[in-house]
Amino acid sequence: MKESLRRALGFVWPRFQEDDDAHLNPYFTFRDHRRTWWMVIVILMTTALLPLVFLTITHYQLVQKSIDIESQLRTERLASNARQAVTLFFEERLAALTFTAKEVGYDHLSQPGYLAEVLRNLKLGFGGLTDLSVISQSGKQVAYAGPFNLEGKDYSKQPWYMECQAHDACVSEVFLGYRDMPHIVVAVKSFQQDGRFFILRATLETERLIQTMSAFKTGPHVDIFLVNQAGLLQTPSEYYDGEARQTDIQLPDHSESTKAMLSADRSGQPIVVGYASIETKFSPTSFVLMVVKQKAGMMKVWLDLRREINWFFVASAIVITAVVILTSSFMVNKVFKADRDKANTMAMAEQNSQLASIGQLAAGVAHEINNPLALINETAGYVKDLFTIKAQYQHDPELMEQIDSILDAVDRCGTITRQLLSFARRLDLRAQAVDLKKMVADVINFHKKEAAYRNITLHVDIPDEIPRIETDRGKLQQVILNLVNNAFQAVEDGCLLDIRAEMEGAKKVRLSIRDNGCGISEENIQKVFDPFFTTKKEGQGTGLGLSITFGLVQKLHGNISVKSKPGEGTTFIVTLPVYAEREAA
Amino acid sequence: MKRYTILIVDDEKRYADMLARRLTLRGISTHACYDGGSALDFLNHTPIPVVILDLQLPDMYGLEVLKKIKAALPDTVVIILTGHGSEKDREKSMALGAHAFMNKPLDIDRLMDIVSECNGIA
Repeated sequence: MKESLRRALGFVWPRFQEDDDAHLNPYFTFRDHRRTWWMVIVILMTTALLPLVFLTITHYQLVQKSIDIESQLRTERLASNARQAVTLFFEERLAALTFTAKEVGYDHLSQPGYLAEVLRNLKLGFGGLTDLSVISQSGKQVAYAGPFNLEGKDYSKQPWYMECQAHDACVSEVFLGYRDMPHIVVAVKSFQQDGRFFILRATLETERLIQTMSAFKTGPHVDIFLVNQAGLLQTPSEYYDGEARQTDIQLPDHSESTKAMLSADRSGQPIVVGYASIETKFSPTSFVLMVVKQKAGMMKVWLDLRREINWFFVASAIVITAVVILTSSFMVNKVFKADRDKANTMAMAEQNSQLASIGQLAAGVAHEINNPLALINETAGYVKDLFTIKAQYQHDPELMEQIDSILDAVDRCGTITRQLLSFARRLDLRAQAVDLKKMVADVINFHKKEAAYRNITLHVDIPDEIPRIETDRGKLQQVILNLVNNAFQAVEDGCLLDIRAEMEGAKKVRLSIRDNGCGISEENIQKVFDPFFTTKKEGQGTGLGLSITFGLVQKLHGNISVKSKPGEGTTFIVTLPVYAEREAA
Repeated sequence: MKRYTILIVDDEKRYADMLARRLTLRGISTHACYDGGSALDFLNHTPIPVVILDLQLPDMYGLEVLKKIKAALPDTVVIILTGHGSEKDREKSMALGAHAFMNKPLDIDRLMDIVSECNGIA
């Protein structure tokens, strides 16, 4: 079950080195296939997705900018149109009042009957007028026409009255006043024959103004209304109607032209605000026309397109990711399988070559042991002959000698067997800090007497800077002993033996053992490390010493090489790591 | 001048000597040489009917010695006795005119049979 699931997932999650592949690790070309896999995925994803992300972000910003600019422009235009309409609304009425005041004059207007006639005519012409009144210079209402009986009221303290006094005309804010219903006062100042001024005042219903403005509402997401300079609502608003009737839009300084800006409403939704102060040619007003548009509603098509592009991006990203992972997994899996097959083949080849070496070794042993055995055979045969052919030799002392000869031959067989065993033995390394100088001195000690006897000059140069090296003491000792033995056997009496050590980089020590003996010929130098290769006389050497040394140095993760010139001498160079490596399984 | 019946040529002195002693015990006079050169020298002035020749010699290969013996003294019976004899060596030796090819360790009775056969020939 688990295995089949794993096989199914193999397309996505490839198999990598496992614990049972540990012995193949040295043969893998790629050390870490999992890391390769990740790297391939990351690189492919980055190259595939980066342009897409970049395009999407750029497009997003472009759309955003277009939306902003477009919505501001549209809002500005709408605000401008609405402002013209509202301005015209007030200007028409102010012009009519001015005409009436100048044409009819104070004397006629102050007669209530006449004033009512004028009101009726004005209502016919413009509509939306509630009443009409004439106010004397003192601020007292002298004539009134309309539904409320407000004759005799004193308006001298009203703000519109003061405004009108100053500017010849005025448009008030929306207020409730004495009649307790929202209205706007428009008034014009005119002069009597005697030079005193009077004010002709009309009350406008806000309804007509609201209608004028709502003609510009282009959709449900647009709100058009008037506020005063303090931001208090003057006409109904969809968004800001409430108890306070206060908008919270921060308006910049007074602006004569139409402007638009981006803002956010109470719930944080983006809005576009267009605004313009209403100014008639007769007098300024305190009204500011506001157009509030919900960006989302207004730019629905754009936003829909953006959402579609976002979905397209997400879908593309998912497809690319899937393709990248599948392709990478497939390829890395193939590479891993090929690499593992190669590692397997190499491991097998090495094992085969090891087996071949062992076979060669066995053949060598058979050959080598054969000679001493032949000698044993002859010697033992001779002893037997003595017994059988010459009975009188039974107590002869010569027998003793022959038996010694047999024992000697057996001993030679024993030596070969022992060396062979130590060659084949695979013991774990026991790493410990070894003082090379002291070790060489110990080994040389074995040979002091022989050197003195044969007049061989021993020269040892191991500087104190050479650090203690982490290695297997026994094996290293055997290596040095073998090489020194070898040198002693190679040199003539009176020769020189030079042992020196130096650092090779920070992590390796090079130990060289040089003699000025007979040297090794070019054809033989290739074979010096081969098992059973010897130039010594039959019976004097087994030919295993240097091959054992070679094996030991490899075991110590070092290197051994030989340089030689016939007649000039031979140098063996052993390079050893200063720090013990973990032995590969 | 002493007459020898068999010349033993083997680089291992002790082996050659031991074989010589065993043959002497059997009433055969022997002489031993330890390399090819001295064996050829010896044969030059001392005719010997039978030579027991090792293939591994310090100065020259045994087959070379065999060739030279057969060239100079074609009547000499040469018995190859080696510890490292391969099939190839056997074929070569027989082609070069060796009388017999024997492996170490030696079966002395078989050697004696061959030698007594040769006495008939030589």
